Amino acid sequence: MSAVTFDSAVARALEREVQVRRRRHLKLAAWSALAVAALWFSALQIKLSPVALVRGAGYMWDFITRLFPPDLSYLALLGGATVETVQIAIWGTLLAIILSIPLSFLGARNTTPHILVFHLTRLLLNALRAINELVFALIFVSAVGLGPFAGVLAVALHATGMLAKFCAEEIEGVDKGQVEAQMATGATHMQVILFGVAPQIVPQFIGYAIYRLDVSIRSATVLGLVGAGGLGFALIQNMKLFKYHQTATCILVIFLLVLVSDWICGKLRRKVI
Amino acid sequence: MLVPASTKTTVLSVRGLAKSYGNSVHALRGIDIDVREGEFLVILGPSGAGKSTLMRCLNRLVEPTEGKIIHDGQEITSKSRSLRAVRRQFGMVFQQFNLVKRLSVLTNVLTGRLAYRSTWRSLFYNFSKEDKHIAIECLARVNMDHKAFQRADTLSGGEQQRVAIARALAQKPTIILADEPVASLDPKIARQVLTYLKQVSHELGITVLCNLHQVEYTREFAERIIGMSRGKVVFEGTATELTEEILHRIYYRDPDEKDDKSQ
Repeated sequence: MSAVTFDSAVARALEREVQVRRRRHLKLAAWSALAVAALWFSALQIKLSPVALVRGAGYMWDFITRLFPPDLSYLALLGGATVETVQIAIWGTLLAIILSIPLSFLGARNTTPHILVFHLTRLLLNALRAINELVFALIFVSAVGLGPFAGVLAVALHATGMLAKFCAEEIEGVDKGQVEAQMATGATHMQVILFGVAPQIVPQFIGYAIYRLDVSIRSATVLGLVGAGGLGFALIQNMKLFKYHQTATCILVIFLLVLVSDWICGKLRRKVI
Repeated sequence: MLVPASTKTTVLSVRGLAKSYGNSVHALRGIDIDVREGEFLVILGPSGAGKSTLMRCLNRLVEPTEGKIIHDGQEITSKSRSLRAVRRQFGMVFQQFNLVKRLSVLTNVLTGRLAYRSTWRSLFYNFSKEDKHIAIECLARVNMDHKAFQRADTLSGGEQQRVAIARALAQKPTIILADEPVASLDPKIARQVLTYLKQVSHELGITVLCNLHQVEYTREFAERIIGMSRGKVVFEGTATELTEEILHRIYYRDPDEKDDKSQ
């Protein structure tokens, strides 16, 4: 039996491998150089300066020492604001869930009634995502007045953008076979969505909605800075009046609230997914 | 066979059916088929012969480029006929079963009833007692009623395909389209599933069109065979008429001949 050898094929492939590797290294080097140049340029532009940081350390230390000790007697007064913060987040997220369900189906290529509707919906969602809650809050404060309602609307709109975009992408990734099977039964477009698409995305959607609630609680703690209720309102008032010990209490409560919300939402999410 | 096949009435006629994608890909190139009432008709052919496309034209999951499909004296292909009315007459069974994994077995079978119910009625996953009755009966026919409340993705492949058959039956169809129903199953389970499919459709007088690429199963189960190759019908007859020469005609591809898709 004559042994078949592949020496020439192996030699050719090895040679090719060296070429491919060399090209890849060259590419990597070029991109790295470009990235470093861009970063250096922007560092100059934004005046990145460790010197200024060191020089300013004294002032920071001064501010921090003034905060201590936090005024714990003020804790009781913050109870209402804390509850309000959570309420803003819960209602904002709930409204976002309600709004994002139809929007996500309109904004997914495979369930949208028309490609134009798809593009318009995505445009709307991108706008909602692009505008920060604080900016929304400023607009709504001038529309519905100072207070938590403006905060609810701000959280709701921004969260709608995030939630609907995420959900639309999940919809686009569903198993097509399960959808086709529903179509084949003679189900209406709506029935196909209900029975073929929805069951595939519900757990991910609930998981993300809980994550959004956590994020909304964090946002709601600062919305008060522009007058939209919650803990942020107490924080900015105390800061403006130079009540350092009370300001410290506010920061402490915000920290604890975020910690607790992260813990609870994490537990909930693990339960769903 | 007790009744000579030729005396049975035709339930479905396909005339000059063609489907092309763009100018270069011709999935179907003029198909003429007559399907007889209550028969188990196997469409045999290699991958890419156009079997799946043919099936999807029949229930209008795919719109044909040319040709006519006449079912029960009515033209399916005409735009005036509602998709719902056409599709619910064809139950479909898929290679990948395509059960909705997170729904229960019973709900999956109940989706076979959707075309009979309004969107509003099904909005909250409500089904009538009558529908539930039908669904459980269909599950019992494939011997799966004992798993009605399990999630579909907890079942084995063979069990899933039996549930899929029950879903098709729940539509009360006149025809079942089975697109490579056993291609993802091992030989033992494959025979079991094909046996269920044939037996149940016989009991209910449902016509079955079954796409297969395996010759053994075709010989074993087909009452009549249509051989397809490259978008055309190249054979029509019974298992005994399926000679080596004809198999060669169905499966052989001239290596010099250019593939449509690569043009």
